[in-house]
Amino acid sequence: MKKTFIYVFLSLVVIIILVLVVKDFSSNRPGRMSGNPYKLDVDEIMAVDPELISYRETRNYDIDADKLGGIALSGENICIGADDYLQMIDPEGKQIMKIKLPHSPECLTVSEQGNILVGFRNGLALYSPEGEEIWKTDTMGERAVFTAVRMTSSVIYVADAGQRAVHRYGPDGSYIDSFEGKTQIEGNYGFIVPSPYFDLAIAPDGELWVANPGKHSIENYTGEGKLRAYWENMNPTIDGFSGCCNPAHIDIMTDGSFVTSEKGVVRIKIHKPSGELATVVAAPDKFLVDGEAPDVAVHEDGTVYALDYDRKTIRIFEPK
Amino acid sequence: MESKAHNRRDFIRRSVRVSLGLTVGGVGALALKNGTTDEWVWQIDPFECNQCGRCATECVRNISAVKCVHAYDLCGYCDLCGGYLKPGAPRIDTGAEHQLCPTAAIKRKYIEEPFFEYVIEEDLCIGCAKCVKGCTSFGNGSLHLQIRHDLCRNCNQCAIARVCPSKAIIRVPNTEPYLIKGSFTKSDKT
Repeated sequence: MKKTFIYVFLSLVVIIILVLVVKDFSSNRPGRMSGNPYKLDVDEIMAVDPELISYRETRNYDIDADKLGGIALSGENICIGADDYLQMIDPEGKQIMKIKLPHSPECLTVSEQGNILVGFRNGLALYSPEGEEIWKTDTMGERAVFTAVRMTSSVIYVADAGQRAVHRYGPDGSYIDSFEGKTQIEGNYGFIVPSPYFDLAIAPDGELWVANPGKHSIENYTGEGKLRAYWENMNPTIDGFSGCCNPAHIDIMTDGSFVTSEKGVVRIKIHKPSGELATVVAAPDKFLVDGEAPDVAVHEDGTVYALDYDRKTIRIFEPK
Repeated sequence: MESKAHNRRDFIRRSVRVSLGLTVGGVGALALKNGTTDEWVWQIDPFECNQCGRCATECVRNISAVKCVHAYDLCGYCDLCGGYLKPGAPRIDTGAEHQLCPTAAIKRKYIEEPFFEYVIEEDLCIGCAKCVKGCTSFGNGSLHLQIRHDLCRNCNQCAIARVCPSKAIIRVPNTEPYLIKGSFTKSDKT
């Protein structure tokens, strides 16, 4: 009698456990639900053939800052804007200069003499390699949003995402003029800048190249602001530029190839001067999903320096 | 003696009745207060939403009370809109086969070359977040989901919140019932 009772009791316990397990498996609690019937599958766009990746991340340096504002190279050293400071870091990651700026830096570049030109939201300032201010400009107005600066010995180019224009300044900081990239060519509406990502770069031959993100193009302009040449590739696949507005950042290698950084599906690539994809530096899996496009600077030896805004890190990619 | 015992019994009986009455009345008043004055309502934190699609399938309302809203001040008014067009669409036009939205709830309106406005038709929107994912991945992230309070029943336990994998559905005061991107930013959360 006692044995029968134990058997019945144990059987009941087993049945209750089974019911609970089946109920749990059939429930729709998170992790147990069937797939999303409305899923937008971007995995195919995110995936990159490993054969195309010819760079590897060799070092990275964390930056103790809330807001980062651009990266540039000064010889072997790295210049970055971080919070309200301009910092210089040696190749070993040691900070060798830190100067307080009057505003938060948005972009920067380094001249052949080693002077550091800093772009603020709507103004510029030039600093000596020792961090002393040489000059600063008046503000460009409330609508201005400076996102990139580059300089030659005779002219300074500033990309202004707010006014969708490139401004030219003299080497002493005096404003010269601006151009909006408009031409008589059908379908050319000038610079289309849907978000505050608007970059430009100077090629080793001194030519000005401007990323026109809304057109997914990289355009060559004369010193007077006349469109001379361009290439474009609006395509979410790896050989093109995805999304509404890319590339977000560019730099140019010694052979004229373009290093490009994209937002949305974040990736860094190198395109030949003709626009054809040359190689992939960093695939989307290296970055946060839907993260910010890292600013890029390329060394003459081909090393790519990326400023990862999401992880607050300088990431260094070297050829394999 | 008898009269005294009777009075005590009456007193206890009355006391029990009054206590029960007060308890029932208090609970009823509280329930009425909670039922009529919604101090807190459910809303989606757009910065936590991971576009899982459950807002479309789990809401007790049919069609869901969750709708896509558009923060126009963040929108780039792009010709190539990641929230409107399927990735890799061969042409940029209004062809149904190129549209991302399964119910064609987004209308593309010409503004001036090369800018277009994208308007949500809420009657058609089912809150599936497919456009939100497209806009977040390929655009400025101006499209996002919100619970519309003219449709929401403000259930005690939101059926979507129960299964939301990113815990994006939270209680907010009914004085500020919407968390619209632009006026609501990530820094507002800290």
